[in-house]
Amino acid sequence: MLDFIMAKYNYWIYIILMMIGFYGMIGKNNLVKKIIGMNIFQTAIILFFISIACKKGGATLPIIEYSHGGEHPVVHAADYLNPLPHVLMLTAIVVMVATLGVAIAIVIRLYRDYKTLEEDEILRKIS
Amino acid sequence: MKSLTIIIVLITGAVLFYGTVDMPDWGDPNSPASRHVSPRYITQTVAETETPNIVTSLLADYRGYDTLGETTVIFGAGMVCILILRSARKREE
Amino acid sequence: MILPFDIIILLFVVICAVAALTVKDLLSAVVILGAYSFFMCLMWTQMGAVDVAFTEASVSASVGTILLITAVFKTTRNSKD
Repeated sequence: MLDFIMAKYNYWIYIILMMIGFYGMIGKNNLVKKIIGMNIFQTAIILFFISIACKKGGATLPIIEYSHGGEHPVVHAADYLNPLPHVLMLTAIVVMVATLGVAIAIVIRLYRDYKTLEEDEILRKIS
Repeated sequence: MKSLTIIIVLITGAVLFYGTVDMPDWGDPNSPASRHVSPRYITQTVAETETPNIVTSLLADYRGYDTLGETTVIFGAGMVCILILRSARKREE
Repeated sequence: MILPFDIIILLFVVICAVAALTVKDLLSAVVILGAYSFFMCLMWTQMGAVDVAFTEASVSASVGTILLITAVFKTTRNSKD
């Protein structure tokens, strides 16, 4: 039982973070709070992907040692972390900031038109 | 409304908690993600690209089109921001 | 991976996430979100993903926080929930 908890507790905390972000997205009434919830949601998913790349047992960062000077050392795959999720999540972080920028532009535009950030007041003014 | 939100969030969380039972253990070196294509990248990157940093060689050499698409996404986001904010300013005049 | 360090950082991350969603003042919420991003960056560093942590610290924790602070100053600071 203790082994099971030790092997999985990271995933459980990531899921709790994702639930907090999801609640912020669909439950909060303020638009900036919704953006903050979206940020937490995306960060939790990126954290989950990064945790897939981890390897126990002496694996180091994905930078090949002793590779300068023209010689090609023999490399074992178990000595280095899995680099593929890192690359994919590098792309995802940049896309996250792009979505954040567009969301903030929409929020500023909505505030100019309706003079409020609360969702229910905006809905009342539209109808 | 508030209770419905909490119920939806708890159902989603329960499904994901159930899904973690079948996940490989944290840090397992023999997990499916570490066996399929990443050993080839790790062992061949110095011979093929002469770059010690595997993340850099993956980002710029093996998956260069991915980075190109990412740049397109950022360009589109900047254009959309300019369009949204500029049309608002023009209407105020 | 060092177990006490891992648990402490995870605890801080969850506390920052809850605090950023419950604080009434929007500027405080945004600054707490910046702190959340930096704790996440520490966590990725101790997991071995240095490139991702670098990008998070430069792009998400600084540029994202600046964008959100700009939005808060251009709109309003107080919120109802």
